[in-house]
Amino acid sequence: MNAEPAARVPEAVRHEIESFLFYEARLADESRYAEWEALVTDDVHYWVPAGPADYDPASRLSHLNDNRARLATRIRQLKTGKRHAQSPPSLMRRVVSNVEILSADERDGQYVIGSNLVLYELAHQATGELRVWVGRVTHRLRRIDGALRIAAKTVELVNAAEPLPNLAFLI
Amino acid sequence: MIADDSRMGPERVHGSLYVDPAVFTEEMCRVFGRGWVFVGHDSEVPERGDWVTRRLGREPVILVRDLDGEVRVLANRCAHRGTTLCWASRGHGRSWQCTYHGWTFSLAGELKGVPYPGGFHRLKSDLGLDRPAQLARYRGFVFADLGGGAGTLEEHLGPGGRELIDRLCDLSPTGQIRLDRGWIGHRIDANWKMLAESDNDAYHLGWVHASMVASAPDTYYEDAVLGAEEANPSLAVDHGGGHFELDFRPSYKADGAWLGMSSEKAEPYVRALARARGAERAGSLLRAGPPHALIFPNLFLGEMNIAIIEPVTSSRTIHHHTAVMLEGVDETFNRRLLRQSEAALGPASFIVPDDAVTAERMQRALAASPTVRDVRNDLGWMDLSRGLEREKADPASGRRVGHVTDEITNRAFWRQYRRVMQGRP
Repeated sequence: MNAEPAARVPEAVRHEIESFLFYEARLADESRYAEWEALVTDDVHYWVPAGPADYDPASRLSHLNDNRARLATRIRQLKTGKRHAQSPPSLMRRVVSNVEILSADERDGQYVIGSNLVLYELAHQATGELRVWVGRVTHRLRRIDGALRIAAKTVELVNAAEPLPNLAFLI
Repeated sequence: MIADDSRMGPERVHGSLYVDPAVFTEEMCRVFGRGWVFVGHDSEVPERGDWVTRRLGREPVILVRDLDGEVRVLANRCAHRGTTLCWASRGHGRSWQCTYHGWTFSLAGELKGVPYPGGFHRLKSDLGLDRPAQLARYRGFVFADLGGGAGTLEEHLGPGGRELIDRLCDLSPTGQIRLDRGWIGHRIDANWKMLAESDNDAYHLGWVHASMVASAPDTYYEDAVLGAEEANPSLAVDHGGGHFELDFRPSYKADGAWLGMSSEKAEPYVRALARARGAERAGSLLRAGPPHALIFPNLFLGEMNIAIIEPVTSSRTIHHHTAVMLEGVDETFNRRLLRQSEAALGPASFIVPDDAVTAERMQRALAASPTVRDVRNDLGWMDLSRGLEREKADPASGRRVGHVTDEITNRAFWRQYRRVMQGRP
């Protein structure tokens, strides 16, 4: 990922972006599927690679590689109430930190944001274990009608190449 | 004997077989140590010098194509002091050097170099890497027999196992498949046998996968397994030797129904297959589709997916999967298969996470079964009797066939398990 120092944006924009990431995190933590889904663009790409994000997701297997239609299916499945892997939904709290604005195009309202993720998940629908998920998250945000939306979200888990337990919640 | 007939019969098995660590140890010895076990596929090591790491039960091994082009399976463990040789899941090179004392091994497993040779008086040829006693391939599928007493691979697979693998490979215009798009590991805190069974259990689909059916309504599973009991023509088949399948062929209403894509999207593949096989044979292959089957004990032929069931402990399993790529078919089509594989298998997919949580719930419910059995022998049993009265045995082929939702597949697994664990012929 981009190793350049943070792009310069007005402090108010930086605050808006951080608030947006924290809001998205809370909706995901609380399994508020419809509200979370309202945050994505029609051309969203939601990706959890099976290792570092250094490959073309079209050409290899990933843990999760959703376009808008597949993400809609994912959320429909969660909302059936019969998705046993998330029934009841995991109890979760995540910390989104080290937020960096990696690039900013203020005129077009496009931003690339890097952050670190630490997520605790109580898998109480399964083993009752408290699972820890750690990774680097890259958001591509786009301003649509004045509001920030997620055009792409990539979650590079530190253990992406290792066997993972169920990842049926919104990460 | 740990897995004796006090714990299993033709209609039931005791829950302790899934949770008892002593049973697990015995399985690693008898099922994964003294029988044929799937290791990997030729196409994973296409070039000389390519290797991938695997487990043969718990034994760490390297599947490698050596510098002479020979495919080998070698212990991933230095012959000197037992250090792991290869840390990565895959790699490429001309030799391996141990990081402990610098011993060097060829890709054929021979000891080549020992630093400070003045104090070394053994014959290098006596200190090669450990390896299975038998290695054999069928249509690129590599199997190993660690102990060496398992007979031939041909005997192990039998006509049923070979036919299952043929039915998958024949769907490729060249007859070759490739497993070269990466593997995903799914960690499931349940016994490995639960996965071997649930991968081939059609009875559960309307319950465990109700959310998938409700949210992705165009799935071809609807015809194959979800119709009314009397209306569903799909079959469960015991091929003998612990190999069994859910045979969806009778329920497919159109050629290529199993592809789960529009005929327009499937068209380049259909054309390539017809060119290679002729229209008639291509038509029957397209109607039949790939098998949904288990090759005992650890290879799941999951339609256009391959999964390896890796036992870790009595209560932990890794379900590894990859997508089957067809040679001689354009990349766009293979990429659709990749996307289908992502939808079906793995920790974030739409199907297997619900199997995983179900198995984890079973594992929890069975945790006390070894002790409740000691208190009262009628506690902690699991029933396998569904369809026993209506299954049909074909004496000529040795196959047993019944309704797709019947527990023929479970019984097929346990029949072979009992034979192997009790050392019967």
